[in-house]
Amino acid sequence: MSSDVMIQTQDLSKSYGSFKAVDRISFEVRRGEIVGFLGPNGAGKSTTMRILTCYLAATGGTAKVNGKDVFEDSLGVRQSLGYLPQRAPLYLDMGVLEYLRFAADLRDIDASTFKKRARSVVEVCGLAQVLGKEISELSHGYRQRVGLAQALIHDPPILILDEPTSDLDPNEKAEFLEYLKRIGQERTVLLSTHNLNEVEAACARAIIVSRGRVVADGPLADIRAKSGAVRTTLTVSAQGLTGASVSEAEVTSAIAAIAGVSKVDSLPSEGSYRLDLASPQDVDLRADLFRLAVQKGWLLLELAREAQALEDVFRDLTLGDERKNRDLTAA
Amino acid sequence: MNKVLTIAKRELRSYFDSLVAYVVVGGSMLGLGVWFFLMQQGGFWQIDRASVGRMFEFLPWTLSAMVLPLVTMRSLAEEKRTGTLELLITMPVTDADVILGKYLAALGLVGVLLLATLIYPIALFVFPFHLGALDWGPVFAGYLGTLLLAAAGLGVGLAFSAVSDSQIVAFFFTAVTLIFLHVVGNVVELIKGPVADVISFVSFQTRFAPFARGLVDLRAVVYFASVAILSLLFAFRSLESRKWK
Ligand SMILES: Nc1ncnc2c1ncn2[C@@H]1O[C@H](COP(=O)(O)OP(=O)(O)O)[C@@H](O)[C@H]1O
Ligand SMILES: [Mg+2]
Repeated sequence: MSSDVMIQTQDLSKSYGSFKAVDRISFEVRRGEIVGFLGPNGAGKSTTMRILTCYLAATGGTAKVNGKDVFEDSLGVRQSLGYLPQRAPLYLDMGVLEYLRFAADLRDIDASTFKKRARSVVEVCGLAQVLGKEISELSHGYRQRVGLAQALIHDPPILILDEPTSDLDPNEKAEFLEYLKRIGQERTVLLSTHNLNEVEAACARAIIVSRGRVVADGPLADIRAKSGAVRTTLTVSAQGLTGASVSEAEVTSAIAAIAGVSKVDSLPSEGSYRLDLASPQDVDLRADLFRLAVQKGWLLLELAREAQALEDVFRDLTLGDERKNRDLTAA
Repeated sequence: MNKVLTIAKRELRSYFDSLVAYVVVGGSMLGLGVWFFLMQQGGFWQIDRASVGRMFEFLPWTLSAMVLPLVTMRSLAEEKRTGTLELLITMPVTDADVILGKYLAALGLVGVLLLATLIYPIALFVFPFHLGALDWGPVFAGYLGTLLLAAAGLGVGLAFSAVSDSQIVAFFFTAVTLIFLHVVGNVVELIKGPVADVISFVSFQTRFAPFARGLVDLRAVVYFASVAILSLLFAFRSLESRKWK
Protein backbone atom coordinates (compact mmCIF):
# COMPACT_ATOMS: atom_id res chain seq x y z
CA MET A 1 0.00 0.00 0.00
CA SER A 2 1.25 3.44 -0.86
CA SER A 3 2.58 5.64 1.93
CA ASP A 4 0.53 8.44 0.44
CA VAL A 5 -2.57 7.12 2.14
CA MET A 6 -2.97 9.33 5.20
CA ILE A 7 -6.31 8.08 6.48
CA GLN A 8 -7.59 4.63 5.83
CA THR A 9 -10.56 2.78 7.24
CA GLN A 10 -11.44 -0.80 6.52
CA ASP A 11 -14.91 -2.11 7.39
CA LEU A 12 -14.98 0.31 10.30
CA SER A 13 -18.03 -0.28 12.51
CA LYS A 14 -19.35 1.17 15.74
CA SER A 15 -22.45 0.06 17.58
CA TYR A 16 -24.05 1.83 20.50
CA GLY A 17 -25.78 -1.10 22.14
CA SER A 18 -27.59 -2.81 19.29
CA PHE A 19 -27.71 0.36 17.18
CA LYS A 20 -25.18 0.48 14.36
CA ALA A 21 -24.07 4.10 14.10
CA VAL A 22 -21.23 3.21 11.72
CA ASP A 23 -21.65 0.16 9.57
CA ARG A 24 -18.57 -1.20 7.76
CA ILE A 25 -17.25 2.06 6.40
CA SER A 26 -14.18 1.83 4.18
CA PHE A 27 -12.39 4.75 2.57
CA GLU A 28 -8.98 6.25 1.97
CA VAL A 29 -7.76 9.81 2.02
CA ARG A 30 -4.47 10.60 0.33
CA ARG A 31 -1.81 13.14 1.09
CA GLY A 32 -2.83 16.67 0.19
CA GLU A 33 -6.50 15.93 -0.40
CA ILE A 34 -9.32 17.98 1.11
CA VAL A 35 -12.17 15.54 1.39
CA GLY A 36 -15.73 16.41 2.31
CA PHE A 37 -17.31 13.88 4.65
CA LEU A 38 -20.91 14.44 3.84
CA GLY A 39 -24.12 13.15 5.30
CA PRO A 40 -27.34 14.18 6.99
CA ASN A 41 -27.45 14.50 10.78
CA GLY A 42 -27.12 11.16 12.49
CA ALA A 43 -25.35 9.55 9.52
CA GLY A 44 -22.35 8.59 11.65
CA LYS A 45 -19.88 11.31 10.66
CA SER A 46 -18.92 12.36 14.19
CA THR A 47 -18.73 8.77 15.35
CA THR A 48 -16.31 7.94 12.53
CA MET A 49 -14.19 10.98 13.34
CA ARG A 50 -14.14 10.13 17.01
CA ILE A 51 -12.77 6.72 16.17
CA LEU A 52 -10.13 8.24 13.91
CA THR A 53 -9.09 10.61 16.71
CA CYS A 54 -9.01 7.81 19.30
CA TYR A 55 -11.82 9.18 21.43
CA LEU A 56 -13.94 6.09 20.82
CA ALA A 57 -12.98 2.54 20.04
CA ALA A 58 -14.45 0.83 17.01
CA THR A 59 -16.52 -2.30 17.50
CA GLY A 60 -15.22 -3.71 14.24
CA GLY A 61 -12.81 -3.10 11.38
CA THR A 62 -9.62 -1.09 11.41
CA ALA A 63 -8.60 2.51 10.99
CA LYS A 64 -5.15 3.89 10.26
CA VAL A 65 -4.04 7.47 10.41
CA ASN A 66 -0.66 8.40 8.98
CA GLY A 67 0.05 4.68 8.71
CA LYS A 68 -0.58 4.09 12.43
CA ASP A 69 -3.39 1.99 13.81
CA VAL A 70 -5.77 4.02 15.97
CA PHE A 71 -6.00 1.23 18.46
CA GLU A 72 -2.38 0.09 18.64
CA ASP A 73 -0.63 3.44 18.40
CA SER A 74 -3.18 5.84 19.71
CA LEU A 75 -0.64 8.40 20.92
CA GLY A 76 1.20 8.33 17.61
CA VAL A 77 -2.06 8.89 15.76
CA ARG A 78 -3.02 11.80 17.96
CA GLN A 79 0.39 13.39 17.50
CA SER A 80 -0.03 13.58 13.75
CA LEU A 81 -3.59 14.90 13.94
CA GLY A 82 -5.22 18.22 14.47
CA TYR A 83 -8.85 17.76 15.48
CA LEU A 84 -11.69 20.19 15.86
CA PRO A 85 -14.73 18.49 17.38
CA GLN A 86 -18.24 19.54 16.53
CA ARG A 87 -19.21 22.91 18.09
CA ALA A 88 -15.59 23.65 19.11
CA PRO A 89 -15.71 22.70 22.81
CA LEU A 90 -13.04 25.01 24.23
CA TYR A 91 -12.34 25.99 27.83
CA LEU A 92 -14.38 29.17 28.05
CA ASP A 93 -12.53 30.47 31.09
CA MET A 94 -9.20 30.63 29.28
CA GLY A 95 -7.73 33.42 27.20
CA VAL A 96 -7.08 32.76 23.51
CA LEU A 97 -3.30 32.88 23.70
CA GLU A 98 -3.36 31.01 26.98
CA TYR A 99 -5.42 28.27 25.35
CA LEU A 100 -3.03 27.95 22.42
CA ARG A 101 -0.16 27.78 24.87
CA PHE A 102 -1.96 25.00 26.75
CA ALA A 103 -2.51 23.03 23.54
CA ALA A 104 1.15 23.52 22.64
CA ASP A 105 2.29 22.33 26.07
CA LEU A 106 0.23 19.17 25.76
CA ARG A 107 1.91 18.61 22.42
CA ASP A 108 5.42 19.08 23.81
CA ILE A 109 6.14 22.20 21.78
CA ASP A 110 8.93 24.26 23.31
CA ALA A 111 8.67 28.00 23.86
CA SER A 112 10.60 29.17 20.81
CA THR A 113 8.79 26.81 18.43
CA PHE A 114 5.52 27.92 19.98
CA LYS A 115 6.32 31.54 19.24
CA LYS A 116 6.92 30.77 15.60
CA ARG A 117 3.91 28.49 15.25
CA ALA A 118 1.62 30.83 17.13
CA ARG A 119 2.52 33.71 14.85
CA SER A 120 1.71 31.72 11.75
CA VAL A 121 -1.47 30.22 13.20
CA VAL A 122 -2.73 33.59 14.40
CA GLU A 123 -2.14 35.00 10.96
CA VAL A 124 -3.80 32.15 9.10
CA CYS A 125 -6.82 32.03 11.42
CA GLY A 126 -7.18 35.80 11.80
CA LEU A 127 -6.89 35.91 15.58
CA ALA A 128 -4.64 38.92 16.11
CA GLN A 129 -7.47 41.10 17.43
CA VAL A 130 -8.66 38.68 20.08
CA LEU A 131 -5.46 37.14 21.45
CA GLY A 132 -5.89 38.68 24.91
CA LYS A 133 -9.60 38.02 25.20
CA GLU A 134 -11.24 35.29 27.18
CA ILE A 135 -12.82 32.64 24.97
CA SER A 136 -16.20 33.09 26.65
CA GLU A 137 -16.32 36.63 25.23
CA LEU A 138 -15.88 35.49 21.64
CA SER A 139 -18.56 35.02 19.00
CA HIS A 140 -19.09 31.56 17.67
CA GLY A 141 -17.17 32.35 14.53
CA TYR A 142 -14.12 33.37 16.53
CA ARG A 143 -14.37 30.34 18.79
CA GLN A 144 -14.35 28.20 15.69
CA ARG A 145 -11.19 29.99 14.57
CA VAL A 146 -9.55 29.37 17.93
CA GLY A 147 -10.54 25.73 17.56
CA LEU A 148 -8.89 25.64 14.17
CA ALA A 149 -5.82 27.40 15.56
CA GLN A 150 -5.34 24.80 18.30
CA ALA A 151 -5.69 22.07 15.71
CA LEU A 152 -2.89 23.67 13.68
CA ILE A 153 -0.53 24.67 16.45
CA HIS A 154 1.73 21.64 15.99
CA ASP A 155 1.68 21.88 12.20
CA PRO A 156 0.04 18.47 11.77
CA PRO A 157 -0.01 16.71 8.40
CA ILE A 158 -3.64 15.72 8.93
CA LEU A 159 -6.64 17.76 9.98
CA ILE A 160 -9.99 16.36 11.01
CA LEU A 161 -12.75 18.95 11.31
CA ASP A 162 -16.23 18.03 12.45
CA GLU A 163 -18.84 20.39 11.03
CA PRO A 164 -16.62 23.41 11.50
CA THR A 165 -19.04 25.76 9.77
CA SER A 166 -22.41 24.53 10.96
CA ASP A 167 -23.11 27.32 13.46
CA LEU A 168 -21.55 30.16 11.50
CA ASP A 169 -23.31 32.93 9.65
CA PRO A 170 -22.80 33.12 5.86
CA ASN A 171 -19.95 35.63 6.07
CA GLU A 172 -18.11 33.67 8.72
CA LYS A 173 -18.69 30.54 6.70
CA ALA A 174 -17.14 32.01 3.59
CA GLU A 175 -14.16 33.26 5.59
CA PHE A 176 -13.67 29.94 7.29
CA LEU A 177 -13.65 28.13 3.96
CA GLU A 178 -11.13 30.64 2.70
CA TYR A 179 -8.81 29.84 5.63
CA LEU A 180 -9.38 26.20 5.02
CA LYS A 181 -8.25 26.40 1.42
CA ARG A 182 -5.04 28.06 2.51
CA ILE A 183 -4.46 25.52 5.24
CA GLY A 184 -5.30 22.62 2.98
CA GLN A 185 -2.61 23.46 0.47
CA GLU A 186 -0.02 21.33 2.20
CA ARG A 187 -2.22 19.16 4.40
CA THR A 188 -4.66 16.31 4.32
CA VAL A 189 -8.07 17.45 5.48
CA LEU A 190 -11.17 15.47 6.31
CA LEU A 191 -14.07 17.86 6.77
CA SER A 192 -17.51 16.76 7.79
CA THR A 193 -20.59 18.73 6.94
CA HIS A 194 -24.20 18.35 5.99
CA ASN A 195 -23.98 21.39 3.78
CA LEU A 196 -23.22 20.76 0.13
CA ASN A 197 -22.18 24.25 -0.79
CA GLU A 198 -19.24 23.92 1.54
CA VAL A 199 -18.07 20.78 -0.12
CA GLU A 200 -18.38 22.42 -3.49
CA ALA A 201 -16.45 25.44 -2.23
CA ALA A 202 -13.59 23.66 -0.52
CA CYS A 203 -13.29 20.02 -1.55
CA ALA A 204 -12.43 18.21 -4.74
CA ARG A 205 -13.69 14.93 -3.43
CA ALA A 206 -16.56 13.84 -1.24
CA ILE A 207 -17.49 10.76 0.73
CA ILE A 208 -21.21 10.63 1.32
CA VAL A 209 -22.47 8.61 4.24
CA SER A 210 -25.99 7.74 5.15
CA ARG A 211 -27.16 5.63 8.07
CA GLY A 212 -23.64 4.55 8.88
CA ARG A 213 -22.72 3.47 5.35
CA VAL A 214 -20.77 5.02 2.51
CA VAL A 215 -23.21 5.65 -0.33
CA ALA A 216 -20.88 7.55 -2.64
CA ASP A 217 -17.16 8.28 -2.77
CA GLY A 218 -15.25 10.11 -5.46
CA PRO A 219 -14.53 13.38 -7.20
CA LEU A 220 -17.50 15.74 -7.07
CA ALA A 221 -18.00 15.52 -10.82
CA ASP A 222 -18.25 11.73 -10.62
CA ILE A 223 -20.71 11.91 -7.75
CA ARG A 224 -22.85 14.30 -9.70
CA ALA A 225 -22.73 12.01 -12.67
CA LYS A 226 -23.64 9.04 -10.51
CA SER A 227 -27.31 9.93 -10.67
CA GLY A 228 -27.11 9.24 -14.41
CA ALA A 229 -28.98 12.38 -15.36
CA VAL A 230 -27.94 15.73 -16.78
CA ARG A 231 -29.75 19.03 -16.91
CA THR A 232 -29.96 21.30 -19.87
CA THR A 233 -31.15 24.80 -19.26
CA LEU A 234 -32.31 27.02 -22.08
CA THR A 235 -34.00 30.39 -22.38
CA VAL A 236 -36.05 31.39 -25.40
CA SER A 237 -37.19 34.97 -25.89
CA ALA A 238 -40.94 35.59 -26.02
CA GLN A 239 -40.25 37.54 -29.21
CA GLY A 240 -39.12 35.51 -32.18
CA LEU A 241 -36.26 36.56 -34.54
CA THR A 242 -38.71 38.32 -36.82
CA GLY A 243 -40.47 40.08 -33.98
CA ALA A 244 -43.50 37.81 -33.93
CA SER A 245 -44.50 36.66 -30.49
CA VAL A 246 -43.86 33.07 -29.44
CA SER A 247 -46.13 31.23 -26.99
CA GLU A 248 -44.76 29.18 -24.14
CA ALA A 249 -46.96 26.19 -24.98
CA GLU A 250 -45.53 26.12 -28.47
CA VAL A 251 -41.96 26.12 -27.19
CA THR A 252 -42.60 23.55 -24.52
CA SER A 253 -44.38 21.07 -26.75
CA ALA A 254 -41.80 21.36 -29.54
CA ILE A 255 -38.98 20.72 -27.11
CA ALA A 256 -40.74 17.88 -25.35
CA ALA A 257 -40.96 16.18 -28.74
CA ILE A 258 -37.17 16.00 -29.11
CA ALA A 259 -35.85 12.46 -28.63
CA GLY A 260 -34.01 12.09 -25.30
CA VAL A 261 -35.88 14.78 -23.35
CA SER A 262 -37.31 13.02 -20.34
CA LYS A 263 -38.71 15.99 -18.47
CA VAL A 264 -39.43 19.67 -19.10
CA ASP A 265 -39.76 22.07 -16.17
CA SER A 266 -40.43 25.71 -16.68
CA LEU A 267 -38.55 28.17 -14.51
CA PRO A 268 -39.71 31.69 -13.71
CA SER A 269 -38.42 34.45 -15.99
CA GLU A 270 -39.67 37.63 -17.58
CA GLY A 271 -40.12 38.31 -21.29
CA SER A 272 -38.71 34.90 -22.03
CA TYR A 273 -39.29 31.22 -21.32
CA ARG A 274 -36.71 29.48 -19.19
CA LEU A 275 -36.83 25.71 -19.28
CA ASP A 276 -35.04 23.02 -17.38
CA LEU A 277 -34.71 19.77 -19.29
CA ALA A 278 -33.70 16.41 -17.93
CA SER A 279 -32.10 13.79 -20.14
CA PRO A 280 -30.00 10.65 -19.80
CA GLN A 281 -26.32 11.25 -19.32
CA ASP A 282 -25.17 10.01 -22.73
CA VAL A 283 -27.50 12.37 -24.59
CA ASP A 284 -26.41 15.88 -25.53
CA LEU A 285 -29.49 17.90 -26.44
CA ARG A 286 -27.74 21.13 -27.33
CA ALA A 287 -27.34 20.54 -31.08
CA ASP A 288 -30.97 19.49 -31.47
CA LEU A 289 -32.14 22.48 -29.45
CA PHE A 290 -30.15 24.91 -31.53
CA ARG A 291 -31.43 23.42 -34.79
CA LEU A 292 -35.00 23.58 -33.49
CA ALA A 293 -34.61 27.23 -32.56
CA VAL A 294 -33.22 28.11 -36.00
CA GLN A 295 -35.94 26.18 -37.74
CA LYS A 296 -38.72 27.85 -35.69
CA GLY A 297 -37.19 31.30 -35.76
CA TRP A 298 -36.81 31.52 -31.94
CA LEU A 299 -34.36 33.81 -30.32
CA LEU A 300 -32.16 31.62 -28.10
CA LEU A 301 -30.84 33.58 -25.11
CA GLU A 302 -29.20 30.81 -23.08
CA LEU A 303 -28.22 27.20 -23.58
CA ALA A 304 -26.27 25.26 -20.98
CA ARG A 305 -25.68 21.65 -20.07
CA GLU A 306 -24.60 20.51 -16.60
CA ALA A 307 -24.59 17.39 -14.55
CA GLN A 308 -27.39 17.15 -12.01
CA ALA A 309 -26.80 19.46 -9.07
CA LEU A 310 -24.90 17.86 -6.23
CA GLU A 311 -27.75 18.82 -3.98
CA ASP A 312 -30.13 16.56 -5.90
CA VAL A 313 -27.70 13.67 -5.90
CA PHE A 314 -27.25 14.07 -2.18
CA ARG A 315 -30.97 14.05 -1.61
CA ASP A 316 -31.41 10.94 -3.74
CA LEU A 317 -28.61 9.11 -1.98
CA THR A 318 -29.66 9.94 1.56
CA LEU A 319 -33.41 10.14 1.20
CA GLY A 320 -33.96 7.00 3.22
CA ASP A 321 -32.89 8.83 6.38
CA GLU A 322 -35.51 11.49 6.06
CA ARG A 323 -38.22 9.03 5.10
CA LYS A 324 -37.43 7.01 8.17
CA ASN A 325 -37.77 10.13 10.28
CA ARG A 326 -41.22 10.85 8.98
CA ASP A 327 -42.51 7.33 8.83
CA LEU A 328 -44.15 6.44 12.12
CA THR A 329 -44.95 2.88 11.11
CA ALA A 330 -41.28 2.01 10.72
CA ALA A 331 -40.50 2.82 14.35
CA MET B 1 4.71 13.83 33.83
CA ASN B 2 4.96 17.13 32.01
CA LYS B 3 1.47 16.65 30.67
CA VAL B 4 0.11 15.86 34.11
CA LEU B 5 1.55 19.15 35.32
CA THR B 6 0.20 21.07 32.33
CA ILE B 7 -3.27 19.73 33.01
CA ALA B 8 -2.95 20.35 36.73
CA LYS B 9 -1.80 23.90 36.15
CA ARG B 10 -4.75 24.67 33.90
CA GLU B 11 -7.13 23.14 36.39
CA LEU B 12 -5.70 25.06 39.29
CA ARG B 13 -5.93 28.31 37.35
CA SER B 14 -9.52 27.54 36.57
CA TYR B 15 -10.23 27.04 40.28
CA PHE B 16 -8.90 30.49 40.98
CA ASP B 17 -10.64 32.01 37.97
CA SER B 18 -13.98 30.81 39.18
CA LEU B 19 -15.38 31.26 42.64
CA VAL B 20 -14.55 27.73 43.76
CA ALA B 21 -11.14 28.48 45.21
CA TYR B 22 -12.33 31.55 47.09
CA VAL B 23 -15.45 29.89 48.40
CA VAL B 24 -13.44 26.91 49.56
CA VAL B 25 -10.57 28.76 51.18
CA GLY B 26 -12.53 31.78 52.43
CA GLY B 27 -15.49 29.74 53.63
CA SER B 28 -13.33 27.26 55.51
CA MET B 29 -11.28 29.97 57.15
CA LEU B 30 -14.41 31.76 58.23
CA GLY B 31 -15.97 28.57 59.54
CA LEU B 32 -12.81 27.73 61.38
CA GLY B 33 -12.72 31.18 62.96
CA VAL B 34 -16.30 30.90 64.13
CA TRP B 35 -15.64 27.45 65.48
CA PHE B 36 -12.54 28.58 67.27
CA PHE B 37 -13.76 31.73 68.89
CA LEU B 38 -17.49 31.48 69.28
CA MET B 39 -18.42 27.84 69.69
CA GLN B 40 -16.04 27.03 72.47
CA GLN B 41 -17.58 26.19 75.82
CA GLY B 42 -16.59 28.89 78.25
CA GLY B 43 -15.16 30.98 75.45
CA PHE B 44 -11.94 30.57 73.56
CA TRP B 45 -9.75 32.66 75.85
CA GLN B 46 -10.53 30.34 78.77
CA ILE B 47 -8.53 27.61 77.13
CA ASP B 48 -6.02 26.34 79.63
CA ARG B 49 -4.00 24.15 77.38
CA ALA B 50 -1.92 25.41 74.48
CA SER B 51 -3.40 23.27 71.74
CA VAL B 52 -5.00 23.47 68.35
CA GLY B 53 -6.80 20.18 68.79
CA ARG B 54 -10.07 21.94 68.16
CA MET B 55 -8.94 22.64 64.63
CA PHE B 56 -8.67 18.95 63.89
CA GLU B 57 -12.20 18.40 65.11
CA PHE B 58 -13.41 20.93 62.62
CA LEU B 59 -11.29 20.29 59.51
CA PRO B 60 -12.10 16.62 58.74
CA TRP B 61 -15.82 17.36 58.90
CA THR B 62 -15.69 20.44 56.75
CA LEU B 63 -13.48 18.72 54.24
CA SER B 64 -15.71 15.66 53.97
CA ALA B 65 -19.07 17.39 53.89
CA MET B 66 -18.22 20.45 51.81
CA VAL B 67 -14.71 21.09 50.58
CA LEU B 68 -13.70 17.81 48.96
CA PRO B 69 -17.02 17.32 47.10
CA LEU B 70 -16.93 20.97 46.00
CA VAL B 71 -13.39 20.75 44.71
CA THR B 72 -13.84 17.56 42.69
CA MET B 73 -17.41 17.86 41.46
CA ARG B 74 -16.53 19.66 38.22
CA SER B 75 -13.29 17.87 37.45
CA LEU B 76 -14.60 15.40 34.91
CA ALA B 77 -18.39 15.80 35.08
CA GLU B 78 -18.35 19.33 33.75
CA GLU B 79 -15.87 18.51 31.01
CA LYS B 80 -18.06 15.67 29.86
CA ARG B 81 -21.14 17.86 29.88
CA THR B 82 -19.57 20.67 27.87
CA GLY B 83 -17.63 18.38 25.55
CA THR B 84 -14.22 19.86 26.37
CA LEU B 85 -13.11 16.39 27.46
CA GLU B 86 -13.21 15.27 23.84
CA LEU B 87 -10.72 17.93 22.80
CA LEU B 88 -8.51 17.23 25.81
CA ILE B 89 -8.44 13.48 25.31
CA THR B 90 -7.80 13.66 21.58
CA MET B 91 -4.58 15.53 22.31
CA PRO B 92 -1.60 13.22 22.72
CA VAL B 93 -2.24 12.63 26.43
CA THR B 94 -3.11 9.40 28.17
CA ASP B 95 -6.25 8.94 30.22
CA ALA B 96 -3.98 8.53 33.24
CA ASP B 97 -2.42 11.96 32.57
CA VAL B 98 -5.89 13.47 32.66
CA ILE B 99 -6.92 11.76 35.90
CA LEU B 100 -3.63 12.49 37.64
CA GLY B 101 -3.57 16.10 36.47
CA LYS B 102 -7.05 16.73 37.79
CA TYR B 103 -6.26 14.95 41.04
CA LEU B 104 -3.07 16.88 41.56
CA ALA B 105 -4.85 20.20 41.00
CA ALA B 106 -7.56 19.30 43.52
CA LEU B 107 -4.92 18.23 46.01
CA GLY B 108 -3.07 21.48 45.34
CA LEU B 109 -6.13 23.56 46.12
CA VAL B 110 -6.74 21.69 49.37
CA GLY B 111 -3.04 22.14 50.13
CA VAL B 112 -3.47 25.89 49.74
CA LEU B 113 -6.44 25.73 52.08
CA LEU B 114 -4.48 23.81 54.70
CA LEU B 115 -1.58 26.25 54.46
CA ALA B 116 -4.03 29.08 54.98
CA THR B 117 -5.36 27.48 58.14
CA LEU B 118 -1.84 27.56 59.56
CA ILE B 119 -2.59 31.21 60.19
CA TYR B 120 -4.61 30.20 63.24
CA PRO B 121 -1.94 28.37 65.24
CA ILE B 122 0.63 30.95 64.18
CA ALA B 123 -1.57 33.88 65.16
CA LEU B 124 -2.48 32.34 68.49
CA PHE B 125 0.83 30.95 69.59
CA VAL B 126 3.54 32.78 67.73
CA PHE B 127 2.42 36.21 66.63
CA PRO B 128 0.62 38.42 67.59
CA PHE B 129 -0.66 36.35 70.53
CA HIS B 130 1.38 34.10 72.77
CA LEU B 131 -1.03 31.80 74.46
CA GLY B 132 1.78 29.59 75.61
CA ALA B 133 4.39 27.29 74.14
CA LEU B 134 2.75 25.30 71.39
CA ASP B 135 3.78 21.72 70.93
CA TRP B 136 4.25 21.62 67.15
CA GLY B 137 4.46 17.81 66.97
CA PRO B 138 0.71 17.23 67.19
CA VAL B 139 0.11 20.12 64.83
CA PHE B 140 2.15 18.49 62.11
CA ALA B 141 0.68 15.07 62.79
CA GLY B 142 -2.78 16.64 62.57
CA TYR B 143 -1.96 18.29 59.28
CA LEU B 144 -0.52 15.07 57.90
CA GLY B 145 -3.68 13.20 58.87
CA THR B 146 -5.85 15.91 57.37
CA LEU B 147 -3.89 15.83 54.13
CA LEU B 148 -4.19 12.03 53.95
CA LEU B 149 -7.90 12.20 54.62
CA ALA B 150 -8.19 14.83 51.90
CA ALA B 151 -6.16 12.71 49.49
CA ALA B 152 -8.55 9.80 50.01
CA GLY B 153 -11.67 11.97 49.84
CA LEU B 154 -10.54 13.72 46.67
CA GLY B 155 -10.02 10.33 45.07
CA VAL B 156 -13.58 9.38 45.93
CA GLY B 157 -14.82 12.72 44.59
CA LEU B 158 -12.95 12.32 41.34
CA ALA B 159 -14.39 8.84 40.91
CA PHE B 160 -17.93 10.18 41.24
CA SER B 161 -17.13 13.02 38.91
CA ALA B 162 -15.90 10.47 36.39
CA VAL B 163 -19.10 8.45 36.35
CA SER B 164 -21.51 11.38 36.27
CA ASP B 165 -21.90 14.24 33.86
CA SER B 166 -23.67 16.46 36.35
CA GLN B 167 -21.55 18.26 38.90
CA ILE B 168 -24.48 18.45 41.31
CA VAL B 169 -24.87 14.68 41.25
CA ALA B 170 -21.13 14.24 41.70
CA PHE B 171 -21.17 16.64 44.65
CA PHE B 172 -24.11 14.89 46.27
CA PHE B 173 -22.76 11.36 46.02
CA THR B 174 -19.29 12.40 47.13
CA ALA B 175 -20.62 14.28 50.14
CA VAL B 176 -22.94 11.45 51.15
CA THR B 177 -20.19 8.85 50.79
CA LEU B 178 -17.64 10.86 52.73
CA ILE B 179 -20.09 11.79 55.48
CA PHE B 180 -21.08 8.16 55.73
CA LEU B 181 -17.45 7.05 55.95
CA HIS B 182 -17.04 9.61 58.66
CA VAL B 183 -20.01 8.98 60.92
CA VAL B 184 -19.93 5.23 60.54
CA GLY B 185 -17.20 5.28 63.14
CA ASN B 186 -19.73 6.36 65.78
CA VAL B 187 -21.65 3.12 65.31
CA VAL B 188 -18.72 1.18 66.66
CA GLU B 189 -19.53 2.34 70.16
CA LEU B 190 -22.95 0.69 69.91
CA ILE B 191 -21.97 -2.68 68.50
CA LYS B 192 -19.13 -5.04 69.14
CA GLY B 193 -17.44 -7.91 67.34
CA PRO B 194 -15.96 -8.37 63.87
CA VAL B 195 -18.48 -6.04 62.24
CA ALA B 196 -17.37 -3.28 64.53
CA ASP B 197 -13.75 -4.02 63.67
CA VAL B 198 -14.41 -3.71 59.97
CA ILE B 199 -16.36 -0.50 60.47
CA SER B 200 -13.74 1.08 62.59
CA PHE B 201 -11.19 0.05 60.01
CA VAL B 202 -12.91 1.88 57.16
CA SER B 203 -14.16 4.84 59.17
CA PHE B 204 -12.35 8.05 58.31
CA GLN B 205 -13.04 9.32 61.80
CA THR B 206 -11.51 6.33 63.54
CA ARG B 207 -8.56 6.32 61.17
CA PHE B 208 -8.03 10.02 61.67
CA ALA B 209 -8.28 10.02 65.46
CA PRO B 210 -4.63 9.14 66.26
CA PHE B 211 -3.37 11.99 64.07
CA ALA B 212 -5.51 14.47 66.01
CA ARG B 213 -3.75 13.25 69.15
CA GLY B 214 -0.35 13.74 67.56
CA LEU B 215 0.32 10.14 66.51
CA VAL B 216 1.22 9.06 63.00
CA ASP B 217 -0.59 5.78 62.53
CA LEU B 218 1.03 3.81 59.74
CA ARG B 219 -2.02 1.62 59.16
CA ALA B 220 -4.08 4.74 58.62
CA VAL B 221 -1.52 6.08 56.17
CA VAL B 222 -1.80 2.85 54.20
CA TYR B 223 -5.58 2.93 54.44
CA PHE B 224 -6.02 6.49 53.18
CA ALA B 225 -3.46 5.93 50.43
CA SER B 226 -5.27 2.76 49.36
CA VAL B 227 -8.61 4.54 49.18
CA ALA B 228 -7.02 7.26 47.05
CA ILE B 229 -5.34 4.79 44.69
CA LEU B 230 -8.39 2.56 44.27
CA SER B 231 -10.61 5.56 43.62
CA LEU B 232 -8.23 6.90 41.00
CA LEU B 233 -8.07 3.51 39.31
CA PHE B 234 -11.84 3.47 39.27
CA ALA B 235 -11.97 6.96 37.80
CA PHE B 236 -9.44 5.91 35.17
CA ARG B 237 -11.46 2.85 34.20
CA SER B 238 -14.60 4.89 34.03
CA LEU B 239 -12.97 7.47 31.77
CA GLU B 240 -11.61 4.73 29.58
CA SER B 241 -15.00 3.05 29.34
CA ARG B 242 -16.36 5.90 27.18
CA LYS B 243 -14.59 4.17 24.31
CA TRP B 244 -16.68 1.05 24.51
CA LYS B 245 -20.10 2.50 25.25
N1 LIG C 1 -22.96 8.09 22.76
C1 LIG C 1 -23.98 7.65 21.98
N2 LIG C 1 -24.85 6.72 22.45
C2 LIG C 1 -25.86 6.27 21.69
N3 LIG C 1 -26.09 6.67 20.43
C3 LIG C 1 -25.26 7.58 19.88
C4 LIG C 1 -24.17 8.12 20.64
N4 LIG C 1 -23.52 9.01 19.86
C5 LIG C 1 -24.18 9.03 18.68
N5 LIG C 1 -25.22 8.17 18.69
C6 LIG C 1 -26.13 7.90 17.56
O1 LIG C 1 -25.37 7.44 16.47
C7 LIG C 1 -25.82 8.01 15.26
C8 LIG C 1 -24.70 8.71 14.57
O2 LIG C 1 -24.34 9.83 15.31
P1 LIG C 1 -23.21 10.82 14.82
O3 LIG C 1 -21.99 10.06 14.51
O4 LIG C 1 -23.11 11.90 15.84
O5 LIG C 1 -23.84 11.41 13.48
P2 LIG C 1 -23.48 12.72 12.65
O6 LIG C 1 -22.24 13.28 13.19
O7 LIG C 1 -23.35 12.24 11.25
O8 LIG C 1 -24.63 13.64 12.81
C9 LIG C 1 -26.98 8.93 15.62
O9 LIG C 1 -28.19 8.23 15.37
C10 LIG C 1 -26.80 9.18 17.09
O10 LIG C 1 -28.05 9.35 17.71
MG1 LIG D 1 -21.96 15.09 14.04
